[in-house]
This record gives sequence, structure tokens and C-alpha cells, in this order.
Amino acid sequence: MEAVLKNLSSTAELLAVAARSSVVEQWDKQTLSRAFHWARYCEHLFSRFLNNTTIRRVIEKQLRLTNESLRAVFTGYADICFSDLSQCQHLLLVGLLKNPELPISIMKILFDTASPVNNQQSDYQDVTGLCSHIIQCKSACKVLSPLTDLSGADAEVQGAVLMERLEDLLSGGGEASRIEHILNSFLQEGEGASGHICLVISAALLTRTNSAAAQTASQDFLLDWLQKKQSVLQQMCSAIPSTLIIDLAKRHVKFRDAYCDVLKKWASEMEYSMSEGEWVQANTNRTVSFQRVTEHFLALFVACPSLRKDVEKELNALNISDGDFDVRGLSVWGDLLSAINK
Amino acid sequence: MAQLQQQIQPHQAAKPLLDVPELQFWHDKAVAWGQADRPDTLKDTCLHMSRLKDYLQQLLTHINNMSSTSETMKRLPLLGQFLGRLCWNPCVTADAPGRWLLFQCLWGLYSEHPGNAVETKANQWIRKVLCQLATEEDDAAAQALMKRMGVPPKEYHLKVLIKMVAMLQENIGKSCSSLFDINHRCSCDNILAASEACVPLVTFPEAAPLISALLQQPATCVRAALSQDFLDALSSAYSSKCLLLEEQEVVSLWYHSLSSLEEAVLSLLECVFTNTGSTPQELKWQLAHSLLPKACAQHCSIFLVVNDIFRSLLKQAEENESVKYLIQTFSSSFFREWGLLQHKTSGSLKALFPQSPQSLLIPLWTWPSEMPQEAWRHHLNWLSCSLQRLTEDEEEGDSDGSTRGHLRVFEAWYLLIQCAHWVQVAVQLLATLQPEDCGPLLWLLTFYHHPTKRGHHRTSQLVHAKEAWDHLRSLFSFLAHPFPVDRVQSLITLLSLKPQQTSPSPFLILKLLLNFCVFSQQSLNGSSEILQTVVNRSGLVNEAVRVLSSLELRLIEDSCLSSDTNRVHLRIKAFQNTLTHMCATLNPATNQTHPQTLITEPRSSEFILDAGFSQGTFAE
Repeated sequence: MEAVLKNLSSTAELLAVAARSSVVEQWDKQTLSRAFHWARYCEHLFSRFLNNTTIRRVIEKQLRLTNESLRAVFTGYADICFSDLSQCQHLLLVGLLKNPELPISIMKILFDTASPVNNQQSDYQDVTGLCSHIIQCKSACKVLSPLTDLSGADAEVQGAVLMERLEDLLSGGGEASRIEHILNSFLQEGEGASGHICLVISAALLTRTNSAAAQTASQDFLLDWLQKKQSVLQQMCSAIPSTLIIDLAKRHVKFRDAYCDVLKKWASEMEYSMSEGEWVQANTNRTVSFQRVTEHFLALFVACPSLRKDVEKELNALNISDGDFDVRGLSVWGDLLSAINK
Repeated sequence: MAQLQQQIQPHQAAKPLLDVPELQFWHDKAVAWGQADRPDTLKDTCLHMSRLKDYLQQLLTHINNMSSTSETMKRLPLLGQFLGRLCWNPCVTADAPGRWLLFQCLWGLYSEHPGNAVETKANQWIRKVLCQLATEEDDAAAQALMKRMGVPPKEYHLKVLIKMVAMLQENIGKSCSSLFDINHRCSCDNILAASEACVPLVTFPEAAPLISALLQQPATCVRAALSQDFLDALSSAYSSKCLLLEEQEVVSLWYHSLSSLEEAVLSLLECVFTNTGSTPQELKWQLAHSLLPKACAQHCSIFLVVNDIFRSLLKQAEENESVKYLIQTFSSSFFREWGLLQHKTSGSLKALFPQSPQSLLIPLWTWPSEMPQEAWRHHLNWLSCSLQRLTEDEEEGDSDGSTRGHLRVFEAWYLLIQCAHWVQVAVQLLATLQPEDCGPLLWLLTFYHHPTKRGHHRTSQLVHAKEAWDHLRSLFSFLAHPFPVDRVQSLITLLSLKPQQTSPSPFLILKLLLNFCVFSQQSLNGSSEILQTVVNRSGLVNEAVRVLSSLELRLIEDSCLSSDTNRVHLRIKAFQNTLTHMCATLNPATNQTHPQTLITEPRSSEFILDAGFSQGTFAE
């Protein structure tokens, strides 16, 4: 472990030097390749000890010490934390490219554009054309994105990554509270783009991985967490395309029931507006109309026909408790029932 | 890299200095494209990629010829802006050669030892642009999420790209039902758009599944066309070896792109005719390796194109044995592939050979192995009589000078060339037939070698062929030593005749000779002796080797030998040894394992283009 910590410190120093020291002026292809080798080593440490709380704490402590000493040497040094380790190569690259002392010969190696056929034979494959490949990848995504406009490849990738992480965490015996904390912070990160987060979560719930058991466990965990986050759940039900909601309802009974509850909640919050002659959501900012709620129910019944009888029975009971009048505008349940059975 | 440079270099223009208006044009284009983030700007960039790359190549030459960056900037003040804009156009940066050129231009503007403020500024700018290109992220929220999940940006982008490619690939795979309902809106419009967007991505390995799906999408819908620029980009990347394609993808590329198909056929021909040492087996392998027979079997349209190229090749060189042999070998490879696929393809023989005499199609395209040996002679007699009737009818009707009849005869002959396995069977049978039965078969053999009746010479050629056959028959039925010297001498005289209109092709006689050697009842020693004497004195060793090995290949392929299979093969081996020996004595320097030269290297050029037949009688 001592050796690992030493390597870790050295790599942190390497990152600082790459970004801030004029020493890089003397770097050659071999130095460059070695630097990326160490960066990959740290990325490996990250994934290896991600779920090991004890070792993670030791590593974090070591990083704190290294940060302190580096701060003393380099003015404006930015600390490195445990999660930065997963991005070590990227950090190294950014540092190098922003360092004005980086020799142009090194840049030429990084931006080398070889044909794919030749690429396999070159030395220092890891660094040769590294930037060129990144640029090609990003550019290709941009070229193709107008063609995939609404299908959201990025949300699907993020969903799959989320699922992978959950699987790792759960199989590594991570405590529920910590995993929930990660999910919560995940939600916070996406604050500005909550519609997108809904797509990511649904993509995660629809992901199919190789290990069925691990997948069930992690998707169950995510569903349980979602039920505690009623606002997210409601937003999902109103924001994502109805075909996706139906897919989710078909795939997960837990989601189906939660979805049904959300629909009933929406209905229960409605009041009859005399002026509009229609049921409207009273206290919220009217995101869902009576018409939409009806459509949601109908779509759900088409997808899960067995549900219809129970739900109708429930709605009927609610209608009876409201007085069982056969007049429009008195009970939302009665009107909903007749709208569903129209 | 070298290949990439090679791919770019040929476009290099000789123009030494660039004019400002042209740069202005491309600069305005770059401004109009912006970041190519709208479908129309994306499309326009993709469509201009090839010309843009040519221009960048010129720019690069120009930059490298200037003494300093300040000088370049003075001459072309817009240059920096132009290159800067291109850096942010994903079409340009996604395309490997485009990106290479762009970066080379930037390196060209970078001054190792900046001499003034302009050059220092240019250096800083180049570093900044490149750094931003490689490390800046558009979607900060996604990056923050991925960082929390421990996914590095590089890996994330790759994952998204792979996902996008998979999604698009899936969409393209969905079959279209608009064939039945013309008004039905289908997603096939996307295919054109996707193929346009793929122009800069053709050599990108991660996009390969999409490229493959586009190439191989079932063409059920009129809207499902592929962009010509996409096909051109693919062909040029494929032919410059910057792109590896699977077999089926290559076939699809040929199906969609006529120019790439023509290029493939021409490169096959070049390969066959420059690689002069190849044996019939090697030729067969070469053809199979070219994938063309397989492609022809899958798509009637590909076959028609390839067949047309062979047809015009034959018209140019009707007497050339190696052209004939190439066509025969190709046709039989094609036909075997076609047979394997027949349950899948809708193309009938009629559709494949629209110009051939229809009544001869099935009889000629029946393999000898598909009928009992006893029926061969009858079948050949029928073929010979049919062809004879056809030629007589056409040649008689041809007296008014029209070429229609002429073409009909050519098409019949061309079909016979393609199905020359029947001519080979005819020669085999001629080795054992009685004089009264040999007429039709000799006619067929003569027609194969001398299709035109120029100056009514076929009759005398036929007479000579019969004469040669008589000599051979008498030599090979003569069981005691020594052989009648006069027969041997007459045969050699026939073989050594100065090519003229009435002399039969030496190949005709050689084929007869070797078939007599292999199939007659003459003893092995006796046959060897005749072979050695005739071949030695006529100087046709290499040609004899060639004829023998194609005979052997046919026997192996057709597996149509009777009970004396063993005997025949042993004899062939023995004659091969005899000939190899003779080759070694004749040309001691040549490698003994490949003693034969290709038939395209004959005794004299007249041998190939028989003097009696002005070149290209059938040529239009």
C-alpha cells in the first residue's frame, strides 16, 4: 500500500509539473508516453478502490498531504481529490496543452492524424494522435447528432453508466445511505436540466446488462429511491415521451404502481373550474390537464390490461365515497371513470 | 500516414501562388457553414469536402513555400480566420484527411522562432485553438455527471458515438413498406441524409457499422438512395487502402457505384495480364480472390457490367488465348457461385445473357458432369449443328453488308467462349472418335478458334484441322516403333505454318495433341515420345504446359472422369514431367517450379493476333 501511495503522490506531482512547470520543455515522446502511463495507473486505482471505503480514505488523506506540499510550490495550484483520479489522463492533457512551455513537437505527436490502417503499427500508440482521436470522436458526434435528434444517445449512455455504477456499488456492499447520497448529488448536478435527468433515469431503468441479477438489484434500488423523490417521479411522468413511460410500466411493476399512484394523485389535486367547464389542477402550476390524465390512464390500460379492472374498482369506490352522483363536475373520480369508458 | 499523404498528394495542384479571390470564396463558404450544426450547412459542407481538401492541399503547399508566417499573413490576411473557422466545423475535423490537412496548415503557420509580434501571436493562437478543440466540452452538465460517475471525457464521447451509430444503424435496418403504398411516409429519406453525413466519417472505424448498414440496406424504397458523394468518398478511401471493407460491403459498394466496379474489374485485368507467370490454378484463385464472380452472382446488374467489359476486351483481342481463358475461367467461377445462390436470386439465365442466342443458353450452361458421359457426343453434335446453322443463316443474310448478323454470330461465339468447357470436352472426345464421327466436333473446335468466316476461309481451316486430326489419330493408333516420320513431319509443318488466313490456330492442334496424349490408347512411352518430338520441334513447350494444366484443372473440377481416372491422372503427371524437363533444358535459368510463361508471350505477336484476322474484327 505504501508503494501505491507513493506512486499516487508522484502522479499528482507529475500533473502539477505538466501543467505549471517549464520542465516540460525537455519532454520527448517517451516522457509523454510515460506520463500518460502513470495517469492511467491512477484511473485504475480509482476504479479499483472506488467501493472500498477504508482504502479510499487512505488515498484521500495522501492526496490532501500532496496537495498541501504542491500548493507551496506552485502558485494557483488546484487541489486533486479522489474523484479527479478517474479523469487523470484528461487532467494531464489539459495541463499540458495549457502549458505555454510545451514543445511543439509534443503537440504534433498528440495531434497526429494517421490513417486508421497505419495507426495500429505506430510506436507510442497511447499518445500518438490522442487529441486527434478525441477531436474526431467529438466531431463525429456533432455530425451525426442532427440525424438522431430526439432519440438522445447521450441520455442512454448516461443511463447505462449510472446503472453500471449502481451495480458496482451494490455488489461492492456499499451502504444504502452512501449510494443514495451519490444519487442525490447526481440529481443536484443535473439541476439545470431536470428534463434531461428524467431521460437519464428512464434510460437507466430500461438498460439491459449481461448480469440479470445485478441489474434487478440496482434497478430496484433506483426505483425505491425514485419513490422517495416524488417530485422527480412526477416530473418523469409528465415530461418524458409517453412511449417511454409505457415501456417503463411494462418493464417494472414497481414503476407501474408508482405511475398509477402519480396519476391518481394528479386527479385528486384537481378542482372543477366552473368558468372553464373542466377539471384543472388547483394548487400546482397546471402541468397536467384532465385530458392528459385520461390519456395516461388509457395508455396504461392498453399496455397492462390486467390493471384496468382493479383501477376501475378503485376509482368507483372513490366515486361512491364522493356521493356517487351521476352529474359532471361533482366528483373527479366519476368523471374520470366515464371519460375512461367513453 | 504515408498512405494518407499518398491519398492526398495526387490532388496537389501545380499552381504556385494562390489568389485572394479563391481564399475569399472558401472563407465565405466557411462563414456560411458556421459550425455546420444545421442540416443544410452540414450537408453543404459534406458536399464540398472533396474540393475543400484539394484547396487545403494547395494552401499547404503555398504556406510551406513561404519564407515566414508574417509573409504568408501579409499575402493572405484572411488565412487565419479561414483556418480558425474550419477548426470549428465538425465535418472538416471529423474527416481524417481533412483534419490532417488542417493541422498541417496550422503547423505550417507555427514559427519555431517567432521573429515578431505577429508570429508570436499566431503561435499563441494556434496553441489555444488546438487546446480548445481537444479539451473543451459543450455539455457541461453531462460532463459533471460523468465525472461523478468516474467516466473520463474521452471515454464518454466514444460511448455516445457508438450509441449514436448503433441507433442509426438500427433505424436503417428497419424495412420500409412504402413499396406497397407510394403515399406512405417512410424513414428512408433519412438514408440519404445519413449517407451525406457519413461522407467525412468513411474511414472512421467507430462509424463502420453505420457505413456497412447504409451500404447493405435493402433497396426496397425509391427514397432510399445513397448520396453520390458518400459513394465516391468510400470508393476513393477503399481504393487507396485507407479503408478496410468486409466482403459483403465491397459487393454492395460495387452494386451502388459503377465507377468503383469498373475500377475493380480493370485492376483485376491489370493484375492478370501483368502477373504473367500464373498457372490456371493461380488464375482461378486470383479471380475468386477478386470477389467479382461472387458479386456477379449476387447482382445481375454487376454481372452485366463485368460481362460488357469482357465482351469489349474480347472484341479487341479475339485471337488472344489468355483473354479467352480468362473469360472462360471467370464465367465458370461466376456460374458456380450463381448456382449456389440460385434459390435466393430472382435473376434468370435469360436476364443474365440478354444478348446471347436463347436456345443455346441452357445447353451450354449445363455442366458436362450433369449428364452421363454417353450423352456428351450427342449433346456436342447438337451444339455444333445449332451453331453451324446460326452462323450460316447470319452469314448468308449478311451479304447486304449489315452488321446485325455479324453481331449475332459474335454473341453466339462469346457464349461458347464463356462455356468453353464443352469445347474442352469435344477435344477430349476427338482423341478417341472414329473418322466418320468427328465432323461436328471438329467444326465446333474450329469455330471456337476461328469464329469469323473472313474470305470463306473456315472451310479450308476445317480441312487443315481435319488433316491435323488425321495425322494425330494415325500416330496415336500406331502401336509399333518407330513412328511414321512423315506423319510427325506433317504435323510439325502444320504447327509451324506462318500464320495466315487458312492455317489453323496452333492452339487448336496443341489441344488435340495433348488430348490424344492423355486419352488415347497409345502407350505412355509412345505418347511421351510423340509429344516431345512435336513440341520440341515446333518450339511450343510453354504453350503445351499451359494447355495441359488447364486440362488437368478441368478434369479435377468437373470430376467427370470415368473408371480410368487414375490412369488419366498418372499420364497427365508423366507428361507434365516430360514438359518440365524440356523447359529446364530450354531455359536453364528459369525456376523449375514455374517453367511456363503466360500465353500472352507467344512466339511472335502474329501468333496472338493472327495475321489473317485483322485486329478486332468484331470490334465496333
